[in-house]
Amino acid sequence: MPVAASAIYFLNLRGDVLINRLYRDDVGGNMVDAFRVHIMQTKELGTCPVRQIGGCSFFYMRISNVYIVIVVSSNANVACAFKFVVEAVTLFKSYFGGAFDEDAIRNNFVLIYELLDEIMDFGYPQNLSPEILKLYITQEGVRSPFSSKASDKPVPNATLQVTGAVGWRREGLLYKKNEVFLDIVESVNLLMSSKGSVLRCDVSGKILMKCFLSGMPDLKLGLNDKIGLEKESQLKSRPAKSGKTIELDDVTFHQCVNLTRFNSEKTVSFVPPDGEFELMKYRITEGVNLPFRVLPTIKELGRTRMEVNVKVKSVFGAKMFALGVVVKIPVPKQTAKTSFQVTSGRAKYSPSTDCLVWKIRKFPGQTEPTLSAEVELISTMTEKKSWTRPPIQMEFQVPMFTASGLRVRFLKVWEKSGYNTVEWVRYITKAGSYEIRSRLFSETRRYKDNESVLLAAAVDTQTLVHLKFVCKTFMYSVGHI
Amino acid sequence: MAPPAQSQRSPSPSQPSGKGEVSDLKTQLRQLAGSRAPGTDDTKRELFKKVISYMTIGIDVSSVFSEMVMCSATSDIVLKKMCYLYVGNYAKHNPDLALLTINFLQRDCKDEDPMIRGLALRSLCSLGVANLVEYLVGPLGNGLKDGNSYVRTVAAVGVVKLYHLSASTCVDADFPALLKHLMLKDKDAQVVANCLTSLQEIWSLEASTSEEAARERESLLSKPLVYYFLNRMKEFSEWAQCIVLELVSKYVPMDSEEIFDMMNLLEDRLQHANGAVVLATIKVFLHITLSMTDVHQQVYERIKAPLLTLVSSGSPEQSYAVLSHLHLLVMRAPYIFSSDYKHFYCQYNEPFYVKKLKLEMLTAVANESNTYEIVTELCEYVANVDIPMARESIRAVGKIALQQYDVNAIVDRLLQFLEMEKEHVTAETLVLVKDLLRKYPQWSHDCIAVVGNISSKNVQEPKAKAALIWMLGEYAQDMQDSPYILESLVENWDEEDSAEVRLHLLTAVMKCFLRRSPETQKALGAALAAGVADFHQDVHDRALLYYRLLQYDVFVAERIVNPPKQAVSVFADTQSSEMKDRIFDEFNSLSVVYQKPSYMFTDKEHRGPFAFSEELGNLSIGTEPSDAEVSAQRVEANDKDLLLSTSEKEESQGYANNGSAYSAPSYNASTMPGASQGHFDLVSLDQPSTVHPPANFAIDDLLGLGMPATPGPAPSALLLNAKAAIDPSAFQQKWRQLPVSVSQELTIDPRGVATMTNPQALPQHMQGHSINCVASGGQAPNFKFFFVAQKAEEVSAYLVECIINSSSCKVQLKIKADDQTTSQAFSDLFQSALSTFGSG
Repeated sequence: MPVAASAIYFLNLRGDVLINRLYRDDVGGNMVDAFRVHIMQTKELGTCPVRQIGGCSFFYMRISNVYIVIVVSSNANVACAFKFVVEAVTLFKSYFGGAFDEDAIRNNFVLIYELLDEIMDFGYPQNLSPEILKLYITQEGVRSPFSSKASDKPVPNATLQVTGAVGWRREGLLYKKNEVFLDIVESVNLLMSSKGSVLRCDVSGKILMKCFLSGMPDLKLGLNDKIGLEKESQLKSRPAKSGKTIELDDVTFHQCVNLTRFNSEKTVSFVPPDGEFELMKYRITEGVNLPFRVLPTIKELGRTRMEVNVKVKSVFGAKMFALGVVVKIPVPKQTAKTSFQVTSGRAKYSPSTDCLVWKIRKFPGQTEPTLSAEVELISTMTEKKSWTRPPIQMEFQVPMFTASGLRVRFLKVWEKSGYNTVEWVRYITKAGSYEIRSRLFSETRRYKDNESVLLAAAVDTQTLVHLKFVCKTFMYSVGHI
Repeated sequence: MAPPAQSQRSPSPSQPSGKGEVSDLKTQLRQLAGSRAPGTDDTKRELFKKVISYMTIGIDVSSVFSEMVMCSATSDIVLKKMCYLYVGNYAKHNPDLALLTINFLQRDCKDEDPMIRGLALRSLCSLGVANLVEYLVGPLGNGLKDGNSYVRTVAAVGVVKLYHLSASTCVDADFPALLKHLMLKDKDAQVVANCLTSLQEIWSLEASTSEEAARERESLLSKPLVYYFLNRMKEFSEWAQCIVLELVSKYVPMDSEEIFDMMNLLEDRLQHANGAVVLATIKVFLHITLSMTDVHQQVYERIKAPLLTLVSSGSPEQSYAVLSHLHLLVMRAPYIFSSDYKHFYCQYNEPFYVKKLKLEMLTAVANESNTYEIVTELCEYVANVDIPMARESIRAVGKIALQQYDVNAIVDRLLQFLEMEKEHVTAETLVLVKDLLRKYPQWSHDCIAVVGNISSKNVQEPKAKAALIWMLGEYAQDMQDSPYILESLVENWDEEDSAEVRLHLLTAVMKCFLRRSPETQKALGAALAAGVADFHQDVHDRALLYYRLLQYDVFVAERIVNPPKQAVSVFADTQSSEMKDRIFDEFNSLSVVYQKPSYMFTDKEHRGPFAFSEELGNLSIGTEPSDAEVSAQRVEANDKDLLLSTSEKEESQGYANNGSAYSAPSYNASTMPGASQGHFDLVSLDQPSTVHPPANFAIDDLLGLGMPATPGPAPSALLLNAKAAIDPSAFQQKWRQLPVSVSQELTIDPRGVATMTNPQALPQHMQGHSINCVASGGQAPNFKFFFVAQKAEEVSAYLVECIINSSSCKVQLKIKADDQTTSQAFSDLFQSALSTFGSG
């Protein structure tokens, strides 16, 4: 027996019901009270997104200041339920145009009820595609309300049936100027150990498209990924062009992509939905170009003073630059006073997050600005309660740079009317979770640790930079023995 | 601000308090009802919105029902929808008023706009009023035949709504057959998918009473149907694909060729953007290849990348769901992710529930090649992250140590934790060091040196303290200060809140005394005195036991309290493999997240008796629950204290010998308050041991081990309770716990078999012999029955599993009994009852 959701609730942080929709009678109406009493008002909140209370299971997610709770009474498909919530939120956002929060829900609750009616029936997910739903559910005010009988006719149903195979695109679209925008957006995740070796590094990328194309166009996208290129050279029976090829670990596609063709020919071909959508997602773990190296040295000078030196090195092309670079360097809670010297950008101490925040608005490639700060601490009696050192975190955006090296080789558009199209391609790399662990050098270091530093230096042949860094710290600590 | 009104009875002042506003609304709505003036719709809309928002926050607005219905005569879809929503909410509790809506809903069901037809039909089906079902049949029938696919999708789900209201109406109107027809013929994939879900639900529920429905349900898994769905796969929406894939995963392909065809067809689903589809596909792949080991392994390789993507993309909640599945897989095939361990390194900002699962993954994938890196990473968490995470990490390090052969480096790390001098780290590590020592006694010297330096004052948590005390007792001869630390602990006896710690303290002092008597003498005396005076029953009893043991014979005491120990080679697994297989069968569901099979957490009332018997059938398929597994489950019961089980064993040994202590000359408790007197006595106990009274017999009797089987009543005298009552879940539990006491094969009368076409025949026959059927199932030629009987005037029950092959007339019996001694007698009785089946 397939499993269906019994109810869905939207609550604010205090536990007030914003929206409740019961789909089935197999759970009591007081389920939301159970959630409030057993989850929201206990320490359990946030410890686990799936909880069982009585005979029912609760799946909940917090999105900005709203909890969305799904109640089921049987052995449900968890992954599907969470995905449903995520998709539903995306759908709501596309209706409200941006934020999804308590206010947005209060202002649009009739619309949400309408949508909840359509996207789920008797607990079974139905159609969640915004393209289709927007055809017959409109937000009042955006389109003229259904006051006149003429506009009230739901055109979509006819189209729905006609198009059949291409459920995500309407027929008869017409644009004066046919344009395609393609963005490759990569977020690079890094975890670097305190010894400067890369523990974990991967890129999760997505290709976002915006299509303003007339008719039913057929698009074909060529990338410099390994499988695609190999296949191509096989087909054309000539050796693959030299140059960088990228090995994608895993790819997923929007439903519009013809997967059979991808598997046989290794080309991404598709009939795009109108407007904005996410064409594909990929993941890469090998051969990632890190845009930044962070070299921290944090020294403890006695009990109440710390010296923080951070050098950030940009390792992308000198002509490129990064935007919105933020480096967050955690400091202990009992920080009293800080003073900074930076060679670029601005730095300040943020007491609410216990961080030194160093911002550089425009960060050119092949440069290495530094920050040196002195931190004074309030001396406390509870010295033993040592500081758990969170990693240094970085935020940035590097336009026209891909950490994976992925490039678009071609983007072709075919339409039977044969119009000309303009294609725009952009690249951007953002920081995902970019974490660098720091280690604390205190004056009372023991010799044993220096050994391990040396050892790490010998083992880690990743970059010369690291080696230099490690040697420097080594000398420092030797000096203090 | 006061919490807002949640219940209908107590609206808070901050919210519209109800009465006044509602009656205002009522009058306003009434005025509008007849009006046709332009702009009426906009005003109506505002009013409707108010009504709905009151409804949402829990104010009872059912009093405006009739006005709402009156206002519903409009062409505005939004208004209509709000009205439908309102009606759907209140109809159930106001069935009389609901009748008012039928008229306009029925009219709307005939509207020329398919949108309105669909909406009206959906609302009509959602009213949920049982006595209005007659009005439903007509519109629903029309809906299923509607020219518009939107209406048909609504109607397909409507049928199952009707079924829940009145199963007979639904079946009598022949809707299931109509649905089946639609499912096979409709052009619109969503209609097909909705028909499938509805049919699955209806037939599953119906199957318990109707054989035909059971057959229909089976037919959903037939080859042509499964292929039909597979071929249309790409037309389905992503959600419908999940449902179809779930169905396909239950299909058993005929041969390897078929398996490969299916996999080739579904291969591209692994690249679907919707993670739920990917997981559902993975389930299909895993299940259809179960019979082909090598392909199954290849499947693991193939699904690795998509799974890792799912973990790292999406919200933490989604990662959590996927990680639970990864954990299940990694338990079955630890090697698959052993080279991808870095994916399970925790990120600083991840929520704890994700981190915890990642730690479990790290422990599960650890092997010779990656242990060093993994443990290094875990140590990082111990030092640098918050307390709960540090604790989990230490446990993870410990678990790795317990499952590895080369623990040298890990022990060093653990000992370094102790030097970190953080209270929570020390506490958690102590518990682990204790476990390690039980498995690897050879490390005792290294560990003891470090543990000896820990001041017991820095250890406050009961578990940790107990562990420390255990080590102090166990390694008393190696730890210089042991007696004195113990002594100081005994001095603070009254301040120790945890009974667990006090119990351990008693045992430890005892052990220490047996090795280093002169130094511990004083502490022991004080401990025993304090123990006997303790208000906690267990502590009191143990103290008393030790006292009497020592009084009786010190050597016996030594043998009992401090026997030579064997290293624990394998810690009992917390879950039996049978259990894991069941969870694996339910891949891609809650079972995986909860780590227990669905029957353990879903409500009983949602499942018919058939579902239950089927479950039992699965339960005993394959390996029969052997005694080993049974005991494993017993261990599981107290797996939390699993690691304390050595001491528990001592304890139970102690209790086992309790019998002899009781037969010893009686002891006058009143002399005890003079504690010093007590322990002086103890020291002078070293007399030649008295001859052991032949107490064994008495002990056995006392503990009811039932070894000397008292000649039970003659078989014929075994009387059964005619009204044996045991509910299915109790039966299930018992069946799992008890060992098989009789297992037999026999033949039965072919005439009896002939009557088995009626499934009730055998249960009825057996009931005549006071043996009741709990569950039955199966298909010709194999039938399976579970019977239960109870001894007259006693609770002792007999559980029987009876598998009958109707073509060979062979019967396999398995009998489990609470009272093993009479199981043979019962077996005879059961067989004689069975032998008359069909001959009477």
